[in-house]
Amino acid sequence: MNRPADILNGARLLIVEDEYLLAQEMADYFENLGTEIVGPVGTVARALDLIASSRIQVAVLDVNLRDERVYPVAEALKQIPFVFASGYGSELEPDVYADAPRCIKPIEFAALARTLGEQIKSSE
Amino acid sequence: MLASFRYEEQIVDRSPGKAAAEDSDLFRHIVESATDFAVFAVDASGSVVAWNVGAERLTGYCEPEILGQTGDLIFTPEDRAAGAPERERSTAARSGRSEDERWHQRKDGSRFWGSGLMMPLRSGDGFVKIMRDRTAQRLKELELSESEGRFRMLATSIPQLVFRSAGDGTRTWGSPQWEIYAGLSDAKSRGFGWLDAIHPDDQAMTRDKWRQAQQSGEYYAEHRVRRHADGEYRWHQTRAKPIDGTAGEWVGTSADIHEMRTLQDRQQVLLSELQHRTRNLLSLVQAIARQTVRSSTSLSEFSGHFESRLAALSRVQGVLARTDHGSIKLEQIVRAELEAHGADERVEVGGPDVELAPNAAQALALALHELATNAVKYGALRQHSGTLSVKWDLRENDRGRLVKLDWREAGVSLPPGPPPRKGYGRELIERALPYQLDAVTKFEIAADGVRCSVELPLGGMAT
Repeated sequence: MNRPADILNGARLLIVEDEYLLAQEMADYFENLGTEIVGPVGTVARALDLIASSRIQVAVLDVNLRDERVYPVAEALKQIPFVFASGYGSELEPDVYADAPRCIKPIEFAALARTLGEQIKSSE
Repeated sequence: MLASFRYEEQIVDRSPGKAAAEDSDLFRHIVESATDFAVFAVDASGSVVAWNVGAERLTGYCEPEILGQTGDLIFTPEDRAAGAPERERSTAARSGRSEDERWHQRKDGSRFWGSGLMMPLRSGDGFVKIMRDRTAQRLKELELSESEGRFRMLATSIPQLVFRSAGDGTRTWGSPQWEIYAGLSDAKSRGFGWLDAIHPDDQAMTRDKWRQAQQSGEYYAEHRVRRHADGEYRWHQTRAKPIDGTAGEWVGTSADIHEMRTLQDRQQVLLSELQHRTRNLLSLVQAIARQTVRSSTSLSEFSGHFESRLAALSRVQGVLARTDHGSIKLEQIVRAELEAHGADERVEVGGPDVELAPNAAQALALALHELATNAVKYGALRQHSGTLSVKWDLRENDRGRLVKLDWREAGVSLPPGPPPRKGYGRELIERALPYQLDAVTKFEIAADGVRCSVELPLGGMAT
């Protein structure tokens, strides 16, 4: 039960990504691993709604959403582990997220799955 | 001949006594051997009555030729004309001494700077004068003051703020530019007063650099200096070096490098923004490739579709780049797509000026591309009977301002059989635009061609 694919099987994953095609791709990929997808959504407001109303175990957050940054979502997740997906390195992140796990775009889904799996494991 | 001049009686106030004769002798020796000093005496009218070797050396006149002549000869013609010799004698007569520093003239016409003292003879019928040649010192002084003048001229005419200080940074002078820029008078800037104009966060570093400068022999700092005129702290680069041949005096300048620093910072942001956009674009290309793979039945079909989608993406990127990623006119996007598909006069295009944000422009362009591709394959852009109109207008409803774009094909006879399965193009229109831009879209295949409408909110996004 230690392989990321196994950990993600049945896990509830929130996807916050504003580019439709990417969001869709990601959702398809993780659905194939048996993950339950929450979203995907492309705005902070919708992500906050989902956090308030759904059970979520892990999240992947695109840092730049249209005209806003995803940080309020990261904050609202509180203890729920997440991974940033970003075209930036960490240099423009607020200090509080400097050490947050991240995947640099273009995302390699297998690597993202591994990172998400690690996050779930270490939060248990 | 000097013997004829009785020093002991005339100049020196001494009591007569048994040693008088020896004193007189001694004194004559001193005067004669004082070859670095010109010593001579004149009578009340200025005629020379005594002239030592030093005077001969300095002026070029030997004793025999000058005796009886006026001693005024060693003054310059202009000083003689101005009455300087007479003034010297009258001052000496009146106050007992007359000090004099001026250019004099030798027998050969050349000049020297003589520094002298004239005193009246006790007999009241003449004067003695002792003079030194200080030409070398005078020239050095002049040179210094000239170089000082040149320095000030330079220091006060360049845009940089110039200062002089000791090696520890204590200031001795600031140029007028500094006084105006910093709003601190020269007096207030002296010592470490100038630090008042440095940003509080930079003061410690600025002083520290002076300590380092004493080791390295050169001062260098970048710090913010307050511009008095508007209170803005602007970045300056300050350099200073010790001046050769002075007792530890330093001279330095502060140059405004604010624009440069600002540009550098901006460049850093732009670079990182560029990186971000490039990576996002790669992600999008990756997603398009995957989608195209999924909807293709052969490699050649994939490569055709993929290339044409990449071309559409690159067209809209080109438009974005030309506007420096500002807003883009909707018409530009529509025309670029139609032209790329060989649309001609049968296509009607038009609507009011509408500006789109970059992300909206890109998503819309990709959707229009699918519509146009489809029209070329099956619809209005393939069939001569077909017509196409792409029109838009602005409206306002409870979701705010929006633009409604209508794509209408007409006169198209659709191929028999079931309509093509929902593909990537329809997914973009029916799902991607609503997801990404909060657009409301409608797509239908009517009897005589495709109709598609896109309602796109403008100015901020709806929730």
